[in-house]
Amino acid sequence: MEYVEKVKEAVNFLESKIERTPKVAIVLGSGLDGIKNAVETSVRIKYADIPNFPVSTAPGHAGEMIFGKWNGTDVVLMNGRFHYYEGYTMKEITMPIRVFQILGVQYLFVTNAAGGLNHSFEPGHPMIITDHINFMGDNPLIGKNVDEWGARFPDMSAAYTPNLVEVAKEVSKELGIEYYTGVYIAFTGPSFETPAELKMARYFGADAVGMSTVPEVIVASHGGLKVLGISSITDRAIPEDLKPLTAEEVIEVAEKTGEKIAKIFENVLGKLKGIE
Amino acid sequence: MLQESAKHILDKIKEIPNVAIVLGSGLSKLSNQVESAIQIPYKDIPGFHKSTAPGHAGKLIYGDIAGKKVLLMSGRLHTYEGYSPAEVAYPIRVMKAIGIKRLILTNAAGGIRTTFNPGDLVFITDVMNFSFRNPLIGPNDESQGPRFPDMSQSLSKEWMEKANEIIEENFKNPLEKGVYISVLGPSYETPAEIHMFRKLGADMIGMSTIHEVIVANHIGLEVMGISCITNMAAGVLNQPLSQEEVIEAGNRVSERFSAIVRAIVEKTC
Repeated sequence: MEYVEKVKEAVNFLESKIERTPKVAIVLGSGLDGIKNAVETSVRIKYADIPNFPVSTAPGHAGEMIFGKWNGTDVVLMNGRFHYYEGYTMKEITMPIRVFQILGVQYLFVTNAAGGLNHSFEPGHPMIITDHINFMGDNPLIGKNVDEWGARFPDMSAAYTPNLVEVAKEVSKELGIEYYTGVYIAFTGPSFETPAELKMARYFGADAVGMSTVPEVIVASHGGLKVLGISSITDRAIPEDLKPLTAEEVIEVAEKTGEKIAKIFENVLGKLKGIE
Repeated sequence: MLQESAKHILDKIKEIPNVAIVLGSGLSKLSNQVESAIQIPYKDIPGFHKSTAPGHAGKLIYGDIAGKKVLLMSGRLHTYEGYSPAEVAYPIRVMKAIGIKRLILTNAAGGIRTTFNPGDLVFITDVMNFSFRNPLIGPNDESQGPRFPDMSQSLSKEWMEKANEIIEENFKNPLEKGVYISVLGPSYETPAEIHMFRKLGADMIGMSTIHEVIVANHIGLEVMGISCITNMAAGVLNQPLSQEEVIEAGNRVSERFSAIVRAIVEKTC
């Protein structure tokens, strides 16, 4: 089956299950699934039940969509995302974003657990993403362009919607949450980066490093969604100061930081009106 | 297949061209310069694929420019269309099989060096492969070229310098020179990526050319590269990038581009 058909089938299925079109889609990264407790859930749908959907295999990732209301806004949570390192294609990992676009979602809030490359970053704080570097060596838009979905060569000069970045900063200040802003660089993983690679990534101008988000944001930009991205800085990815890392440690810090990110999102939702 | 492709073309053109020229986005008007033109659609050539990119026709145009026999490739393939690097560079191997020795690659590029302006033509002195792909991956065909082709002078310095002297004599100023970095696309680069590429030493950026340069070096063609700066790369100016901008700039510069390429063909090929 053609990709376009697969997406349409998934959209039709979801439309038959939900009553209201969500305005905001929120992708929950590693350790950020605490957000789901804050949402007044109306419908939960397992990925396994959605036609043509891949199934997540990453540790700490569930596999369901949660539709509901959060701070007065219709949202859909993607609880469990797909990673390139799991062996999926770029088209597979970004399929949920495409489905959200066709469903009529207008905003994408995306989160991830990331290593801090910036020497001033301490673990446990959110980093509001201002831009990204695609170091994955692949792109979800390769192949024939679907013109109804977006332009052949989509502009990426403001992929992370500047007004959303500003609102997220304001809200963080109001809440007294210490935050950083910076550039996120994506590697494929799943092996963590070597000290030499981290040094290179820092030289490239990146502030945080991870293995997700970039493909999703490329598709969101292509589809005209406004994007807010926040990284949870879970460890210091400083070459001179590198300790061996386990996925469990990352998840533990990510959960603590996730609570802060949830608060930021909740308050940004209250201020979405009029953001272009 | 290579011999079949070459034979199909040779049967039509009869003579071996002095030079082959690959036309970049928006630069296809050079074909108007060709006298006694013979057109060969890609779809008729065994082994050739069809270009799906905007601003790219899909045909070879053979004929005379300034008394020299030229073979123009109007429309090229890109990896962002879903083609493999080897497929993208296949026509270059066919050029060699026809007996062509010189290749001019042109492209539309985004300006990373801030002193560039849209409409500038720039000689490519060197290329950076940021496509994470290579057309030579796989078993090597020794009859085509070596396992590890040298890339220390992948674009001919001698040819470029000679051409630039002629350009200076005939058009007042020589062309600028720069390093071209090739990325996958099709999404345009982010400002953070452009910042990185500038630090890495790139002067202009595009989504083509690299696989053609690599294959041309594998098989021993003499290569010249010319970028047309059609827009400033992301973050240089505070404005979004669009495909229309690229095509427009190509159209605006096409007369000057044609005159310069004509002079290069006449005097150096």
